[in-house]
Amino acid sequence: MSHVVLAGGEEHHFVPPSPADFQLPPVFGHSVLFTKPFFLLVLGGLIVVVFFVMASRNASVVPSRLQFLGELGYNFTRNTIARDVIGSKDFMKFVPYLTALFFFLLVNNYFALIPFVQFPTLSLIGFVYALGAISWFVYNGSGVRRHGFLGYLKLQTMPAGIGPGMLLLIAPLEFLSNILVRPVTLTLRLWANLFAGHILLLLFAIGAEYLIVESGNPAYIPVGIMSFLLGMAVSFLEILVLALQAYIFTLLTTLYISGAVAEEH
Amino acid sequence: MSQPPQEPGEQRRTADPWQAVSYLVTGVGLYGLVGWLLDEWLGTSFLLPVGIVLGAALGVYLIYIRFRSPDHQ
Repeated sequence: MSHVVLAGGEEHHFVPPSPADFQLPPVFGHSVLFTKPFFLLVLGGLIVVVFFVMASRNASVVPSRLQFLGELGYNFTRNTIARDVIGSKDFMKFVPYLTALFFFLLVNNYFALIPFVQFPTLSLIGFVYALGAISWFVYNGSGVRRHGFLGYLKLQTMPAGIGPGMLLLIAPLEFLSNILVRPVTLTLRLWANLFAGHILLLLFAIGAEYLIVESGNPAYIPVGIMSFLLGMAVSFLEILVLALQAYIFTLLTTLYISGAVAEEH
Repeated sequence: MSQPPQEPGEQRRTADPWQAVSYLVTGVGLYGLVGWLLDEWLGTSFLLPVGIVLGAALGVYLIYIRFRSPDHQ
């Protein structure tokens, strides 16, 4: 929390939540690395790995509950996301990455709502840029492997049916848009949603606490209660937004992969 | 994004609207930058808005090219 409680009940000013609230102190020692987001990220990865390993262990034709859950999750990314977008010819190569990506994002996003954890790890932009970079390598790499470097460049920068003059103007536009802008928008979309959601929740919670306990004005108490209720409402909205953002990131990565490996006419 | 793969019996993929947004923004950004650089080089002051408008127009044209149905001519 970024505001100070003064002894003796003096009145003090409300300090709204800010990006400084995202810079959490190290859990032990003085390093910058071993902070809560770091451990949450590792924990998220471990949860996904352990879940899927245990769900697929001793797999039988009549599934246990855990296996059924694992198959449900796996089928979602395999069929609804990968196969329907990339097409049944090429999609299997990408299913492991997309499944891992989707569930890693899901678990890390929902850390924002779990009590006592309450921090979305991917609201720190460095983490998200790393994921965006990995997706960038996957879709560009698969395109280069399918078409060769020049062939892939041609595919991405030169749409069919334009004369050479227009092509000269359009090609840099396409190049920038497909190769440079895509990872940035992918990253920023996820990050901004998580950052804004967390700031909203912080604001409503800190605001409610300030209004009810520390403002010293009893007329503010109903306002504080309303702030708290609004915070709860935003939490419900966040349930939807967190899942949606994980899905969108994965879906867009899949779309880019499908565009990269598509055969030309 | 290249033309969507036409597999027999498979639905057309839906076009990505963010692609369109990205074309517009990139067009304005790139050709605005080109216009601005030309302005600096030639000492003029009108090439920046010309670049921006040209970039927007090219972005719209690119959206039309990429997202029209393939049987168009």
